[in-house]
Amino acid sequence: MFKKLFSYRVPQNLMVIMNSMAVLLLYLYKDRLDRFVLISGILLIFIIYMSNFILLKVSKGDHYIFLIISMLVSIGIIMIYRINPIYGFRQIIWFSLGILNFFLFYFLVRSIKHWNKWLTFYVVLSLVLFLSTLIFGVRIKGATNWIRIYGYSFQPAEIIKVLFVFFLASYFTGFRKIKPVIFHGIVYAYLGFLFLQRDLGTAMLFYFVFTTISYIYEENRKLILYNLSGAFIMAGLSYLLVNHVQIRVQTWINPWIYIDSKGYQITQSLFAIASGGFFGTGIGLGHPEYIPEVHTDFIFSAICEEMGIFGGIAVIMLFLIFVYRGFKIALQQNNKFFRIIAIGITAMFGFQAFIILGGVMKVIPLTGVTLPFVSYGGSSLVSSFAALGILQVASEELEWEQEENHGFRIQKDS
Amino acid sequence: MFNLLSLIFRYFFILIIYAFIFGIIRMIYLDIKAISEVSVSNTPYLKLINRKDSLPFKIKEVYTLDDTITMGRNKDNDIVIVDPYVSNHHAKIILDENFYFLEDFDSANGTYLNGDKLMDAIKLRNGDRIKLGQVEFLFVSND
Repeated sequence: MFKKLFSYRVPQNLMVIMNSMAVLLLYLYKDRLDRFVLISGILLIFIIYMSNFILLKVSKGDHYIFLIISMLVSIGIIMIYRINPIYGFRQIIWFSLGILNFFLFYFLVRSIKHWNKWLTFYVVLSLVLFLSTLIFGVRIKGATNWIRIYGYSFQPAEIIKVLFVFFLASYFTGFRKIKPVIFHGIVYAYLGFLFLQRDLGTAMLFYFVFTTISYIYEENRKLILYNLSGAFIMAGLSYLLVNHVQIRVQTWINPWIYIDSKGYQITQSLFAIASGGFFGTGIGLGHPEYIPEVHTDFIFSAICEEMGIFGGIAVIMLFLIFVYRGFKIALQQNNKFFRIIAIGITAMFGFQAFIILGGVMKVIPLTGVTLPFVSYGGSSLVSSFAALGILQVASEELEWEQEENHGFRIQKDS
Repeated sequence: MFNLLSLIFRYFFILIIYAFIFGIIRMIYLDIKAISEVSVSNTPYLKLINRKDSLPFKIKEVYTLDDTITMGRNKDNDIVIVDPYVSNHHAKIILDENFYFLEDFDSANGTYLNGDKLMDAIKLRNGDRIKLGQVEFLFVSND
């Protein structure tokens, strides 16, 4: 019994142990003896264990992706709770909503056929969301990408991400023929709207996903080349014309000369990563609060500071296994639409992690996107779990697929 | 108290996370190994002759025959072939004293062995071609 509890053969138990240790640690943090931590911690452990258990019963598909993601979410919640208990508790609530959303989308997408025929719907819905962001949008931290409703703000771009993947998939499945020119017009309209909102990270993310899928499925290979050269021209133009982009590039090349102004955030992040060493300072013993926005975009620096480089490498490795599983799902799926969906969603998470991890480590210019599943943020977490639910559907054999193509000639047994 | 605990726990956290990653990778490895092991085993097996992606339904490349098996469109068969030309209970491969026999269950479109329609149970030899519906298998055994 005891041995089984600690064995690497049962990863769920390891997760429970880690979360219980973290709850104990946070309970003692700053001698507050906070009952609240205990309640929310036990709630968290229960949610993770139960949802994994239910998924094993319900789904015949891949069970690893959900495990990997629960581990990432628990690391994230531990760090956020340590930085700010209020945010931490909210994140636990968002996480439970995310899990509900996961199962909701899982059953919804599984039970409805013909997702590939709704291309117009996806485009119109994204357009509505974009326009409402432009009209009702609130400017928070340099980007106008928030809508505020009854005191709750959310980012429509997080929903559009999923819609964009569905749009690409239904175009390349080719149910409704639209001309390549119109298709590219729509894609660049997406990018243009994001650019108007100053949401450069998300624009880059959309472009990466678009390039990945068109690299695999576009039959006219020259178009890929045109798109790539177009991207270079756009990048060059935006560097010359947009002040926002120039700052990002300058602070990437040499943040040290702007350490007191625009380079402050990135240099603090580098200090935090460096001060962690191999095993970190220990949770609660570092100073991640010196970094502005540490609970959202810069959560990785906080993890590196308090859990060490090994903790940071573990986060990157979890993302790597996740991406590997995602491609594996895409390879096994027979239905072309869901194959593209699987590639798109996997690429979306993979690139998003790459953009922000590279950004906080000063490998590529910093653009503000959240680290999926780890960063604090309600709309990001909830819509990411919706996408994960869709990926879970893609990992299964779709039973209605065969009847659809050959239903008219199924023979009767005499 | 807290500081000491935190200093000790940081090693445990990293140990647990890595054990977790190791556990997942091991499970994935076993998953892949189970797929590739089938083709190297010593028991006779059925190999798909059609190109897998030319068939519009789910089918495996290799089916091992370690016991008597049934084939058909119904879910309770050992080999489920959701081909519209395959009957619900189409055919059966019987293992009898280390020999394999192919038998047809009065299927609507029949079972073919090396191009001839099957009338009675017939003993299978290495290299025989079994056709049911659009699907064609090769029977491979070591004798």
